[in-house]
Amino acid sequence: MANDEARWVAQASAGDAAAFRHLVETHSSALFRVCARITGDKALAEDAVQEALFNAYRHLREFDGRSAFSTWLHRIAVNAALEQMRKRNRVEDALPEGEEGHEVYENAFDAPAGPDRHATSAEIRRDIERELSRMSTIERTAFVLKHHEGQSLEDISATLSLSISASKQAIFRAVRKLRAALDPLDIEG
Amino acid sequence: MNTTIRDEDLILYRYRDGLDASRLAEIEAALAASAELRERYAALERTLAHVDALPAPEPDADFNARLWRQLEPRIAPRPRVQRVSWSDRLREWLSPPRFAFAAACLVALAVGVGFYAGRRSAPNAPTLASADADAAAARVLDAYVAAHLRATEGVLMTASNSDSAELLDGNRELAASLVEANRLYALAAARAGNTQLADFLRQIEPVLISLANQQQSGTVQPSEGLREYLNSTDLMFQVRATQARLERAGAHRT
Repeated sequence: MANDEARWVAQASAGDAAAFRHLVETHSSALFRVCARITGDKALAEDAVQEALFNAYRHLREFDGRSAFSTWLHRIAVNAALEQMRKRNRVEDALPEGEEGHEVYENAFDAPAGPDRHATSAEIRRDIERELSRMSTIERTAFVLKHHEGQSLEDISATLSLSISASKQAIFRAVRKLRAALDPLDIEG
Repeated sequence: MNTTIRDEDLILYRYRDGLDASRLAEIEAALAASAELRERYAALERTLAHVDALPAPEPDADFNARLWRQLEPRIAPRPRVQRVSWSDRLREWLSPPRFAFAAACLVALAVGVGFYAGRRSAPNAPTLASADADAAAARVLDAYVAAHLRATEGVLMTASNSDSAELLDGNRELAASLVEANRLYALAAARAGNTQLADFLRQIEPVLISLANQQQSGTVQPSEGLREYLNSTDLMFQVRATQARLERAGAHRT
């Protein structure tokens, strides 16, 4: 399988449009999923995938095969998704300060849980989706890369141009926000 | 013991990342020893399980086809345009595919005008043949304008997203080549009575001209105004929507 993919990549790199189309069709859905999770918007995700694939095509010769082709593509796609968000002025320039953030979470933990809260899976889904949409782009992206993509903290840090410590903090904030949204009384620090 | 285990530690433990082996072992031992810590860890697992239960965002069925339609004109090799003599330019015009484009438009135009004239001279008896010719002309025009808009979208996307001077140079040349075709299609659409399409194509023309006349490589500054314009208007959306509408109309007429 890996050899097959290497062959497709080599052919595409040599200008074979059909080979590149094969790669597009193989990876586009996975790229769409990660971009949609980061942007929270299917139209933006589609634009991001298109840009990512176009950029990948332009730089195919630079792919050295040290990582899997899908890993390389995903990194380009994540950057394209962040670029789409930046264009829409949705990306924060920096992570929020730690102290300020802790206050938010502490308040969230103190919030009382209603007796009928999360009665249905639809409500849970709504709560999670609302919370994901409220997160900063950095928090959501770090969480998506860790939880859904299974990336290492090192890779996440490289992708987001953050320190490992800042990447960890972004993931912590994302998870704690989700927990606070779903079941505030569950959490004690 | 569990007072030293924070939520952050449990999150890293869950993902088995960012903790050294001794810290992992400590947490594992603490979990075994403390029911309260196990409950906190279970709460974390429940939260993440809820996230996993969300349906994965999936593209629609046409996604791959749409993606490729938009990518293909952007990745097509674009030979650099050089100064050519009028005879070479004429030869180029007479060779496919550009000649095919122009010929198709002229056919569409001629058929449209012929049908219009025929209908005026015999208003009560439109023949089946002229109706067929009219539909065929409209189908041809739709197909070529849709292809033209695909290429236009690629040019706009590249202008909007690329900082590569080399790429922007190629894009400028492609935009220049589209200006002429755009005028031709606007004319054909107007003659065929499709004023909405004609107006839309005329609306694109200044953008294509602006792209075609951008400064040569060396600076991306001239692109910024255009990018802002593209980002602040729905021109890209309109190009896509019109292209999709024409493709649907073409399929419907077939």
